[in-house]
Amino acid sequence: MELHQVRYFLAVASTLNFTRAAEQCNVTQPALTKGVQKLEQELGGQLIYRERQLTQLTDLGKEVLPMLERTLASAEAVRRRAQEFQRKDVAPLKIGLAPSISASLVLDPIAEIAKFVPGLHVELREGAAKKLVDLLLEGEINVAMVGDVQDVPARIDDWSLFEERYVAVLAPTHKLANRPSIGIDDLRETILLERADCDVAPKIQQSYFPEKPPQLGHCSGHDLHLQHMAAAGFGVILAPEHMPRLPTLKTIPLEGDRVSREVRLLAVQGRRYSPALDAFVKVARLRDWSIEAPDRGVPREEVPVVSRGPA
Amino acid sequence: MTVMRTPTADRFQPIDLQPEDSPLMPDQTDKTLARIRTELLTTFSAADWESYNHLVRWLRDTDVASHALKVGDDAPNFLLPDADGRLHAFEQLRRKGPLVLSFFRGGWCPFCTAELRALQAAKDEFENVGATLAVVTPETKDFPRQLKQNLGLDLKVLSDVDYGVAMSYGVLFRVPDETKAHYSRLGFDFGARHGSPEWMLPIPATYVIDAEGRIRSAFVEPDFTIREEPTQILASLRQVASTSR
Repeated sequence: MELHQVRYFLAVASTLNFTRAAEQCNVTQPALTKGVQKLEQELGGQLIYRERQLTQLTDLGKEVLPMLERTLASAEAVRRRAQEFQRKDVAPLKIGLAPSISASLVLDPIAEIAKFVPGLHVELREGAAKKLVDLLLEGEINVAMVGDVQDVPARIDDWSLFEERYVAVLAPTHKLANRPSIGIDDLRETILLERADCDVAPKIQQSYFPEKPPQLGHCSGHDLHLQHMAAAGFGVILAPEHMPRLPTLKTIPLEGDRVSREVRLLAVQGRRYSPALDAFVKVARLRDWSIEAPDRGVPREEVPVVSRGPA
Repeated sequence: MTVMRTPTADRFQPIDLQPEDSPLMPDQTDKTLARIRTELLTTFSAADWESYNHLVRWLRDTDVASHALKVGDDAPNFLLPDADGRLHAFEQLRRKGPLVLSFFRGGWCPFCTAELRALQAAKDEFENVGATLAVVTPETKDFPRQLKQNLGLDLKVLSDVDYGVAMSYGVLFRVPDETKAHYSRLGFDFGARHGSPEWMLPIPATYVIDAEGRIRSAFVEPDFTIREEPTQILASLRQVASTSR
């Protein structure tokens, strides 16, 4: 498929009007129609119903639209990067992080894209996953990293970045601090510091406390608060493995690694990607995140070395 | 310089092998890619043949390759992450000399892995004439990393996240339903590999781009079992070297 054909189709999809779409693309209407038709031939069906009063996307049109938007956005972000580069523009990038996602995760990607997006200016925002989804839809942030999240709206693109396990974090003076791992029974007898709005609370509940709720101690929505309280001996925290810890704390794996979660990347579908956002999403989707969670204990999918030739 | 291939009548026929030929893993780098292709084709099941013939016929009928950039065109700019998430800009890749940019389908495709091994073996020769080699896959996440590891590749494997570069080079197509069904049965989930709801693939293509960003040779072949031989790429690179400066 060709870039300009896709551009024509997206213009029709957004205006639902061939005349206006042609104006937008700066071509004649017959040229635009021909481009869309060629794309339809290649995609094997009509993308647009053309009736006298009504121009509408077909089911196929609706199906391919989000992907083509993304592909075109990605192709065009490169051109804008060259323009911004010349104009030395400021390139803002607002990243939302769920409370269980440490800023340490995004430092390396930020350093990487700063090499190519000179005016890069990053703003980090913290919020619960639901709140971040709202901020994305409102355009207040460009991208978000969250843990387990339910009911992501269809308008949000969602990529799994990596999986990590949950571990116990406690003071070295805690009575469980010298165990090689912590079992279910120990956990049930221990005071757990409560993480407010915790993404994985349902999983923890199901895996370790299916019958009787845990003995919860003090509470905070902020990881550093919980760490300080754990260091003071107020209880144990269950934390994602990547989370940087105060030097006064100890980390112990949970027996059987029953709780793990996926860290996900969210961005709004169909929105124009700035060069900074485009670069961030690309780096995030390729990066080796296992550096952050080295012993995540999740089996990695093998690429089969195929000796036969699937056609 | 290299021209687009035209279909030949016997391309879809199984090829008779000499008695000493046996289907082997495509790991002997002294073999030509044409020879490895012949061996791989003998491993095709009836379903593989049917799918192969269908896809290649469909690509020719819809003339997908006609969109592909040609010799003399300006090569589009890009910024892509490699298998480790490090970014590479087009202008940097061609700063020192010509760039060999090769689009392949993915680590699941044995014709691609054979090509990658051959390119790996030829990499030093390319560098000796001042060229840089980069290969481009639609795969994301840790798939490119695993591919490099499994094949022991020391190549710039770039990930064309969301297919923007394949589209701007005109080599991208949406996988037809019949092909999708066949690959699904073989257990290949391009949705997961590409991080995309739509299954798209590039036509395998190898471009030689000079330091000014102009395409000097274009090998674009809808028959995905046929790839440009590294010796041919090297000849193109030598020609670029002899005609510039």
